[in-house]
Amino acid sequence: MVRFLAGKGVQYALVLLFAVTLNFMLPRMMPGSPLVFLAGEDVGFLSEAQRTELLRSLGLDQPLWRQYVQYLGNLATGNLGYSFQKGRPISEIIVERLPWTLLLVGLALLAATLIGVVWGTLVAWRRGSAFDLGSLGISMFFESTPSFWLGMIFIAVFAARLRWFPIFGAQTPGVSLAGWAMVANTAWHLALPLATLTLITIPGNFLIMRYSMLTVLGEQYIATAKAKGLAERTVIYRHAMRNALLPMATVVMLNLGFIASGATVIETVFSYPGVGRLLYEAVLNRDYPVIQATFFILTVSVIAANVLADLLYPLIDPRVRHAR
Amino acid sequence: MRTVAILAMILIAVLATIPAAGLAQTGAVRIAIRRDEGSLNPYTYQSGYPGWNIMTLVYDPLFYPDANNEPIPWLVRDVKVSTDGRTWTLTLHPNVRWHDGRPLTSEDVKFTFEYVQKVTHSRWTPTTRNLDGIEAPNPQTVVFRLKAPDAGFRLRTLADVPILPKHIWESVTTVAAARAFNNTVGSGPFRVEEVRAGQFYRLSAYPQYFAGPVKVRELVLPIVRDATVSFTAVQAGEVDLSERPLNPELVAQFERQPGIKVVRGPGFASTLLQFNLEHPLLRDLRLRRAIANAVNTNLMVKLLTLGYAVVGSPGYIHPASPFYASGLKFEASKAKAVAILNEAGYRDRNNDGVRETPEGTPLRFTLLAQAENPLRIRGAELVRTWLKDIGIAIDVRVADDASVIDLVWPDFDVCKGRRFDLSMFGWSAPVMTRPTALVDLFHSSCQIGTINIGGYKNAQIDRLGEQLVVTVDSNRQKQIAAQMQKIVAEDLPVHVLYYQDVIMAYRAAAHDKWVFQKGQGVLTKLSFVDPPKR
Repeated sequence: MVRFLAGKGVQYALVLLFAVTLNFMLPRMMPGSPLVFLAGEDVGFLSEAQRTELLRSLGLDQPLWRQYVQYLGNLATGNLGYSFQKGRPISEIIVERLPWTLLLVGLALLAATLIGVVWGTLVAWRRGSAFDLGSLGISMFFESTPSFWLGMIFIAVFAARLRWFPIFGAQTPGVSLAGWAMVANTAWHLALPLATLTLITIPGNFLIMRYSMLTVLGEQYIATAKAKGLAERTVIYRHAMRNALLPMATVVMLNLGFIASGATVIETVFSYPGVGRLLYEAVLNRDYPVIQATFFILTVSVIAANVLADLLYPLIDPRVRHAR
Repeated sequence: MRTVAILAMILIAVLATIPAAGLAQTGAVRIAIRRDEGSLNPYTYQSGYPGWNIMTLVYDPLFYPDANNEPIPWLVRDVKVSTDGRTWTLTLHPNVRWHDGRPLTSEDVKFTFEYVQKVTHSRWTPTTRNLDGIEAPNPQTVVFRLKAPDAGFRLRTLADVPILPKHIWESVTTVAAARAFNNTVGSGPFRVEEVRAGQFYRLSAYPQYFAGPVKVRELVLPIVRDATVSFTAVQAGEVDLSERPLNPELVAQFERQPGIKVVRGPGFASTLLQFNLEHPLLRDLRLRRAIANAVNTNLMVKLLTLGYAVVGSPGYIHPASPFYASGLKFEASKAKAVAILNEAGYRDRNNDGVRETPEGTPLRFTLLAQAENPLRIRGAELVRTWLKDIGIAIDVRVADDASVIDLVWPDFDVCKGRRFDLSMFGWSAPVMTRPTALVDLFHSSCQIGTINIGGYKNAQIDRLGEQLVVTVDSNRQKQIAAQMQKIVAEDLPVHVLYYQDVIMAYRAAAHDKWVFQKGQGVLTKLSFVDPPKR
């Protein structure tokens, strides 16, 4: 067991180092300099010395290997660095953005998983029925719908036309609210982005659950359970669904890894102040440290989710435990 | 099943109560802006537009551009320029106070210009290169001494650099510290009350503003990332103005809608077909002239902007600008294009539909376009179609802005050369309004023609340009500018396609005193406060 864990530890450490190196290299390989995004067109009017000074203030005048060593050193001490664009510590910016992303993506994952599981289960039970075929059609539709388009349609219909929900933002701008009014206002703003993200996340879960359920329903113990004369509900939920949930556990773990990276497209369409939009803006602005930091957090959370899955899987699937 | 029903009822009940909480009216004017602008002070705001415009609601420069982009005295009550144009004596308005109550004096002005010289700011540091010294003989008087007379001094320097409070900024001494500094005590008509990063800014009118009452009590500036969403928000009444110019296809719809007013005027941002004049084939004027003749800019304006644009003048300057050389026009003709090519010996020798030079090199070029700008992509496709008609092959290559810049204007330093054939390009409004624009755009020295991205060279332009930059008299400036435009129109270093109109939509109920600044739009200080009386 100890050897197993140590082996895994080394493996993850290597993955982390590789990912961190990639995080460092990728933004710098993109064409375009961060300078213009700091200076705009006027950068053309700066003298060579002034340009160098601006670059120095960002640490970009250093050779690449030195920037890399410094970056690793900073990471080791938990320092994510400063944003080129905003001049602020990145940890501070992320702390502002992360709660919004966790709220949006977390709730969407939860809702999409629950709905996907229940829906997939029910549909598999009635395989071949109109309900099954209709469900497959609907899920294929949402699976293939671009999220920005769905978001735009929701804005046009539910916000602009029907006025049920606000068009943008996480809270009504410029109004100070507290207590329940604040919670209500936040929920009201959350509704559309949450609905969009949930709708496009459901089909993946639904399809996996349906397929897994179909496999389980073919097993002999289900026939046995039916033959025993158990109620339909009991067969579905107790005998079939529980076992069909195993592949879902893996999917949920994988999804969990991406929770902190936010939903870039949806956060952008709805002007939601999450980590995904931060990343999008950082890429546009060539804000290297912010790109690095958001990818770093993503890397760490994906690895953490994998570790968690490795540790939890034996607990939920006895076969893995015995096989070892 | 019963549990589900109960849950659904609770959900509906909660949702029903929510809208009431959100619809509370604020009485503020709400302007959707596209991005974060730092803490809104001079070293943290991000974009030339709308960032500078919003920042100058909090801070005042000495002059400010009026609706015609003429700099008018703002913090300054009286101006005296010496006959050699090198000594400027300014008298400040008395009773100007910082938001913290301290008086604004000539010491602050002197401090500010010395500060931007020392702490590099890409927009202002270069404009102070010509400063020889600043003195503050008494609290109301500032004297600027210039190394040479400077055509752009009033607009580019005095009307652009916001005055900083010395007592607050003197302890901030490095670029890094200034870019992280979030103090916003200014002297402008608005105070920054709240900054919610990534979400919104809230500004309130400064009751003791020296120039008189501020016409709006409160400004709320939410960040709306997507342009279409920001227009939808205006339509639905969630904001009162979007700082972005309205898409042409939305104009008719917005004009019909009650409660919304649409204002329209010339736009000074340009859209160009940029030539690389160092390209072995494109350095040939006959070829450039043929290309320009094949491009139907009139049709382009109709197709791309639904007519909401002005066809380009071959001398670069917009016909609505005071510097425009009147009468300058480019009449395109496909027949002429074909004739020029034939005469120059560019013929299709192997019958592949593409002409070749007498040496056999095919007329095949790559045209770059910016992925973020759908109009330019469609424009590039039109150019390709029209040039194919006259036997010139164009490959349109679309890439993100930064990648295009990397080829056209590497490191934003024209001294570093260029690696492209043709590119869709454009300059923002300030490149049209400043008197020295033609020098920046076309002087052959990369130190002076700092945005001469095509590598254009003409000795006569250089001579006129050097004359223009030291000319202070505005009539003489216009004469020289007109001569320069005529030469540019002959040489065609760029082909100016069009200037898109600026169209803005706002909700009149919230605020109806918007002032349209020619070429730029309504987001100007003049929309919120009248110019100070002498």
